[in-house]
Amino acid sequence: MRTWRKRFPWYAYVALLPLFATLAVFAYYPAASGIWFSFYEWRPGFESVFIGLDNYRTMLTDDLWWKSFRNLGIIFAFGVTIAWALPLLAAELVISLDSKRAQFIFRTLLIAPMAFPGVVTALLWGAMYEPNNGVINRVLRSVGLETLAQNWLGDPRYALLSLLFIGFPFVAGLPFLVFLSALQNVPSEIFEAAALDGCGRLRRLWVIDLPLMASQIKLLVFLATISVLQYGFAAYLLTGGGPDNATQVPVLRMLGVAFQGSDWGYAAALSTTLFVMTIALSIVIVYVRREDRTDVRPL
Amino acid sequence: MSVRSESSPRSLSGARHRATRPATFASRSSGAERRRRRHRRTQLVIQLVLGLLVFVGLFPFLFMLITSFKTNQQYYESWWLPTLPLHVENYARAWNQIQPYFVTSITVAAISILGSLALCTIAAFVFARYAFVGRKVLFGLVAALLMVPGIASLIPMFVLMRDLGLLNTRIVLAIPHIVGGAVLGTLLLKTFVEQIPQELFDAARVDGAGGPRMFVSIMLPLSLPVVGTIALVTVIGVWNDFFWPLLTVTENHLRTVSAGLQFFQTQNATEYGPLFAGYAIASIPLLLLFVFLSKYFLAGLQGGLPGAGTR
Repeated sequence: MRTWRKRFPWYAYVALLPLFATLAVFAYYPAASGIWFSFYEWRPGFESVFIGLDNYRTMLTDDLWWKSFRNLGIIFAFGVTIAWALPLLAAELVISLDSKRAQFIFRTLLIAPMAFPGVVTALLWGAMYEPNNGVINRVLRSVGLETLAQNWLGDPRYALLSLLFIGFPFVAGLPFLVFLSALQNVPSEIFEAAALDGCGRLRRLWVIDLPLMASQIKLLVFLATISVLQYGFAAYLLTGGGPDNATQVPVLRMLGVAFQGSDWGYAAALSTTLFVMTIALSIVIVYVRREDRTDVRPL
Repeated sequence: MSVRSESSPRSLSGARHRATRPATFASRSSGAERRRRRHRRTQLVIQLVLGLLVFVGLFPFLFMLITSFKTNQQYYESWWLPTLPLHVENYARAWNQIQPYFVTSITVAAISILGSLALCTIAAFVFARYAFVGRKVLFGLVAALLMVPGIASLIPMFVLMRDLGLLNTRIVLAIPHIVGGAVLGTLLLKTFVEQIPQELFDAARVDGAGGPRMFVSIMLPLSLPVVGTIALVTVIGVWNDFFWPLLTVTENHLRTVSAGLQFFQTQNATEYGPLFAGYAIASIPLLLLFVFLSKYFLAGLQGGLPGAGTR
């Protein structure tokens, strides 16, 4: 009897009850119902009709949906190359500073833009992109580069690129902090040894810094894949997926189907697809991290 | 840690020369001098480049600040220099429109923090300090939710709220943050509480303290830093949340700052002064948190990584 009570202490379960009750209603149930109703012609409040895989079949022929994934590919490619080069440069420069104080000041100033609400940042960039009075076109005109002035967000050729450049120079973000703390954690003996061997700065970046950061970079890549699936907020604010669907992304397509088209079952299918993709990627992350721990040790 | 500042190759060689200088000849010392000067120039270049990056990064916000004191007329005359007189009344006008959004955001943040902390402190304590059948499975069920992206359950969550008749309330705005904060909080706090030495709890038990007493007198005070981090993450989350308030709330006074700003922008699109004054006001709370709690701010940001709690 005593061991039974010890193995099943009722108070522990009671104490966990509020958390699990909340999670059941507001986390597990919505996730499950989203998957469930993706097989229905979902009419909330009325009787839904089971239609099997029809929603998914519609998805396969939904050009807009697949086009939105092409855009995601561009966003991802941009995000892990150009949008990481500058944070890496900034991190290298910060650790090269002699004075601890200067390091701290520059780090703080560099990440300060993170302290502004995302909506403010996006709207400010929107104002700067404005074709007539926006700062960017005004600068171009005042230095005589009139021909380069564009309708940045209104032209299908430039709209996606303009969205991507929001937040330039991209230093204020997780990649910079990860690069910086990784570099700061490298034992200084390694850098000293490299310097004694006459290893230049660029060479050091390639043969020492980047390999040492490999595991962090791997993690960042996977995080970027997951967060790119959720991309949509800047596009919603500034272009609404337009012009001519040039900035269409899956999240916007899903919201459009649900709230403008009122096609809840189809929206649930799209959302389930995104969900499954994210889960699959998260599982990959877990395995990559596990593998990490083993191959980081020998160092 | 103090040697870190000399870890860069140049500074190292510079330091070495400086150290040996008194014993060397004049000609060698001039070589060291030259090297030191080159080193100082490198440092200057680095600072200039970093300064440029800082400037470009902060430019939109500087521009916002400068323009927020202008009338349209002043903006058209000089779009980048501050011009007199400063139109402080832009801020009064913007505040009048934004004030209800502030009230909502702060209320929602408070509800979310209280709700998520109430759920996660107790759960984390139980997970970290009690042995019971199903502990691992139950904890896994919580941890798994960290992988569920908010955007993927947006649609079913919206339908659920509509069925429950919760649309256009403050509670509906808080619920996703309560859930998210509780999940993240349980993970972070459990890891933290597990690291509290068992002796503390043993001593308390000897003194006759039961579970609830240990929770209140030992765990809560010790885990304040983590609790602070969770609170901060929640505030930032509420402040930046965009799609959820946009979809669930249609009454203007119930909009949060982020969703309200979009509405505010369409209302004032043609008047730059009040528009940017509104953006500036909306940025103040997070800026203050960043300035005064930057340590927690960063911890929260990096603790938000999936799996970071297990490190």
